[in-house]
Amino acid sequence: NYPETYSIPDVWKYNEDTMKPIHGSNLPTSGALSEKDLPKGDHEIQLYGLATPNGAKVSIMLEEINELKGIEYDAYFINIMGGDQFTSGFVAVNPNSKIPAIYDTSNGARVFESGAILMYLAEKYDAFLPKDPVAKAECISWVFFQVGAGPYYGGGGLSHFKGRAPMNWEYAIDRYTIETKRLLDVLNKALESKEYLCGDEITIADFMHWNWTKRLIEQEFLDGSSYTNLVKWVKKIGDRPAVIRGQRVLGFGDNGLKERHSRADFD
Amino acid sequence: TRPTAGARHEKALPKGDHDIQLYSLGTPNGIKITILLEELNDLKGVEYDAWKISIFDLEQFGSEFVQINPNSKIPAMLDTSFDPPLRVFESGSILKYLAEKYDAFIPADVRAKVECYNWLMWQMGSAPYLGGGFGHFYSYAPVQIKYAIDRFSMESKRQFDVLDKHLATNKYMCGDEISIADFAIWPWILCVQKFYKGADKFLKLEEYKNLAKWMALIGERPAVQRGMRVNGFVENSIAERHSRADFDAVDTATTEGDEK
Repeated sequence: NYPETYSIPDVWKYNEDTMKPIHGSNLPTSGALSEKDLPKGDHEIQLYGLATPNGAKVSIMLEEINELKGIEYDAYFINIMGGDQFTSGFVAVNPNSKIPAIYDTSNGARVFESGAILMYLAEKYDAFLPKDPVAKAECISWVFFQVGAGPYYGGGGLSHFKGRAPMNWEYAIDRYTIETKRLLDVLNKALESKEYLCGDEITIADFMHWNWTKRLIEQEFLDGSSYTNLVKWVKKIGDRPAVIRGQRVLGFGDNGLKERHSRADFD
Repeated sequence: TRPTAGARHEKALPKGDHDIQLYSLGTPNGIKITILLEELNDLKGVEYDAWKISIFDLEQFGSEFVQINPNSKIPAMLDTSFDPPLRVFESGSILKYLAEKYDAFIPADVRAKVECYNWLMWQMGSAPYLGGGFGHFYSYAPVQIKYAIDRFSMESKRQFDVLDKHLATNKYMCGDEISIADFAIWPWILCVQKFYKGADKFLKLEEYKNLAKWMALIGERPAVQRGMRVNGFVENSIAERHSRADFDAVDTATTEGDEK
């Protein structure tokens, strides 16, 4: 056990020393911690988020829709290290206080969860979702697959225990590494003799998996380069201009945009 | 547990006569589906075939199961009204697919429908913290790692709080009508209540009053109670399910046994 003398008590107690709250994160409770409205622009879709692996899924899709149909959207930066996700305005758009989240001002709908947002946008703009019922069912299955897989290579698993936890526990790192590699193998096999996850055309299934997979196959620890179908597919998608722009929206670094209101903002 | 995927042995799957062929087990993710199908049976007389896939015997690595779900997880299903049969994997995808096929348990109102998918997806992304995280490190791991238990306990309670606050002003997850969002979330809270021994006390589950009320409301439904018994682990479970009558056979036998 770790610590050696540890044994599970009957009732769990929150301990601020070991689980430092960071502006509202790392608490066993939810809800607003401050009164503040969200900014709103004039376009139909209002995106609140960051260019993290989950957040960029949505900005990538919106940039693709911009390429395809000329539709613009507003995007606003939510600083999750500074508690922006716990303002009353943000909690109203996502009671779970996670990014990304959007409003559709044409019908007042709030959409949270990256998977729900991509499905919603695909139906709203009639794009990136197969029409054929069999291909469509496949696409949706691969979308849900990523939602359930994400926590194992993300915050609930590998990404946390290898690199962010205060110590390296072999048991935890092994557990999540085995699962991450297994997931990569599933995806790699799925792309055998296929251009994209659902066939010849790119779909929301690809947008769901791309960001995370890109990061994973770069890791020598995971023998990432051995997943040759994934390497090809990651590069192919990464070369798309809309995907390149999408990663800059609400992005970190010098060419990140803190807000996005039109294509001209990139210039 | 291996870092690779794919079939490990040749095995064909059984098939019945109904449209829906479900290959599954009575775990939280499996009963989401059987609960929905039993509700559809109550509402519209839908019948289905449910076959048990014993994951402890590695049946999820049989060749035909892998064709239906390359991820080798239950639940997985075929819709045989298509030729060749249409496969669906991932519990969330299956819930959505069946609700659309039978036009039930997804709200008609635009905003309620959007909420339904919000919460359905929320459950998909949340369960790995509750199950793969908390459940594993609290109940199953061979070593007790305080940091991991603390991290996942904190997140589990945060999730209960999100649900409890939402259910303060909503009868069901999407408003007044029960939906697939409820069917997705319910079995995992049940898991903490009943199957992870000591967890309900450890996480002080009874303090979430709105959540407890909602759990009881759904738990009373006959279809939910039947759904838990399919391919199940609970008392009076049935290994396979081909018609409503399959439940009666077990119920009758139990009653006769009691009488003796």
